[in-house]
Amino acid sequence: MKGKKIRNGDIENALNKFLKDEHHLVLGFKKGTDGIHHQVFKGGVDNYSLINHVFGTNGALYLRRIFSKGIEVLLMMRPCEIRAYVELHKLTQIEREDIIAISIDCPGTVSSKESKNNMPAEIDQLKGYFSSNNSMRWACSVCREKRGVVGDGGIRFDKTGNLWIIPYTEKGERIISIIEGELEEIPHEMLIDRSKETEKFQVDMETFNKDFEKCIMCMNCRDMCPVCYCLDCVFNGDEYLPKGDALLNKVFRTGSTTMPRGKDLFHLIRMYHVSQTCVGCGACEEACPQGIPLTKYFKGVSERLQGLFSYMSGRSFDEPIPYITFLEDELKEAED
Amino acid sequence: MAEDEKNKNPEIVGFACSYCTFKASEMAGSLRMKYPEGVKLIQVPCSSRVDPAFVIKAIVEGADGVFVAGCHPGDCHFIKGNYYTRRKIAALKEMFNIFSMKEKLRLFWVSAAEARRFVEKVTDMYNDIKEKKNEG
Ligand code: SF4
Ligand code: SF4
Ligand code: SF4
Repeated sequence: MKGKKIRNGDIENALNKFLKDEHHLVLGFKKGTDGIHHQVFKGGVDNYSLINHVFGTNGALYLRRIFSKGIEVLLMMRPCEIRAYVELHKLTQIEREDIIAISIDCPGTVSSKESKNNMPAEIDQLKGYFSSNNSMRWACSVCREKRGVVGDGGIRFDKTGNLWIIPYTEKGERIISIIEGELEEIPHEMLIDRSKETEKFQVDMETFNKDFEKCIMCMNCRDMCPVCYCLDCVFNGDEYLPKGDALLNKVFRTGSTTMPRGKDLFHLIRMYHVSQTCVGCGACEEACPQGIPLTKYFKGVSERLQGLFSYMSGRSFDEPIPYITFLEDELKEAED
Repeated sequence: MAEDEKNKNPEIVGFACSYCTFKASEMAGSLRMKYPEGVKLIQVPCSSRVDPAFVIKAIVEGADGVFVAGCHPGDCHFIKGNYYTRRKIAALKEMFNIFSMKEKLRLFWVSAAEARRFVEKVTDMYNDIKEKKNEG
């Protein structure tokens, strides 16, 4: 695979060049007074940060329902954010035409609720920092794809401290052409490796009920999930929740008397609905005021359900979402 | 002890396609075949109309089991609806499996002519669930 070696300052220069066109925007990270945050850059970049070691939200959230033509948006984000963008595109929530998505190697992140003092900002030091303590978010410690290998292009770090920018599509090539230098063979070994397989998630309803005991049904988890996009969510209002006789029936038939009623319903249905598109980013858990271990469930369930179809959310633009396609001869074991 | 009876007898919600399984259930009725009272059918225009959310809602709100039933693959009135059903329900089964309750969900293919098959399928499911319910 070929890419361009990037020198210090090359990226900022390239972004500034790209932003000279008044119809161009960059969505990336900016160093603020308190941490690093998502930012839309217009005209040029300032206090730009390539990586962001603090996770607040998944940036793909802000891309939903971008259909306009003629404004080019360059995404410079984490792999989980680019993967969520790819899924949203497949769900027809974003037009791909005017978006260029570059994924950047991610060393993992800490929660935006944690203290960020004394954290290094450089990727190689971050890698060491994370291996010396357990401050990394659980979602990141079991992340399926930390490498900048998704989208239209990627930015990768090699083991000797060099940065590489690699095109995966024609759009990626266009962006890379702004950067000086020649394409050359990229090193085989990079700083961030392929992720290890994690254990298959298995649980029971008793544990589920215990884990969700403190849930107050604020639905922040749904609202901050990049791929939970329905305008007309079944959980808008309380029409779908058990109430009246249905609630009494539930109490008598299942013995379940927990409140707020219907939180089991809410989470299980959401888990199914995002099962093929969840990227395991943990934005849901980050948004939860009650510290519910949401990633364990959403990531755990979605990986197994994706596995059924050898699918991985956001890995490629061309792989159709399993529920909207089929093979005539398959899944005989599911028939009773 | 009517209350006890009720607790021991499972309730099963079945989503049945109106072009096949639901017709089979009607035929079973006109042939005077019996199937358990606890099996409650909901007619749907195609098995693929069943959003797995319906199944989860039925279970969470007290059904002891749910089945989704449609035409045999290749025979869908809408040509390919049941292939989507199979994908969606296979995934839902995997999810039930993760939550250690895979016995609560089944997927049947029953054509409009298969009254006997319909009765067998639902009775088997009913009995299996009843047995499990009365174990614990
Ligand atoms: S989930 Fe993966 S890509 Fe996303 S922030 Fe964590 S390590 Fe990075
Ligand atoms: S954000 Fe937390 S408390 Fe709110 S609904 Fe989700 S799990 Fe429950
Ligand atoms: S369910 Fe949670 S982990 Fe999955 S994509 Fe949504 S926010 Fe990310």
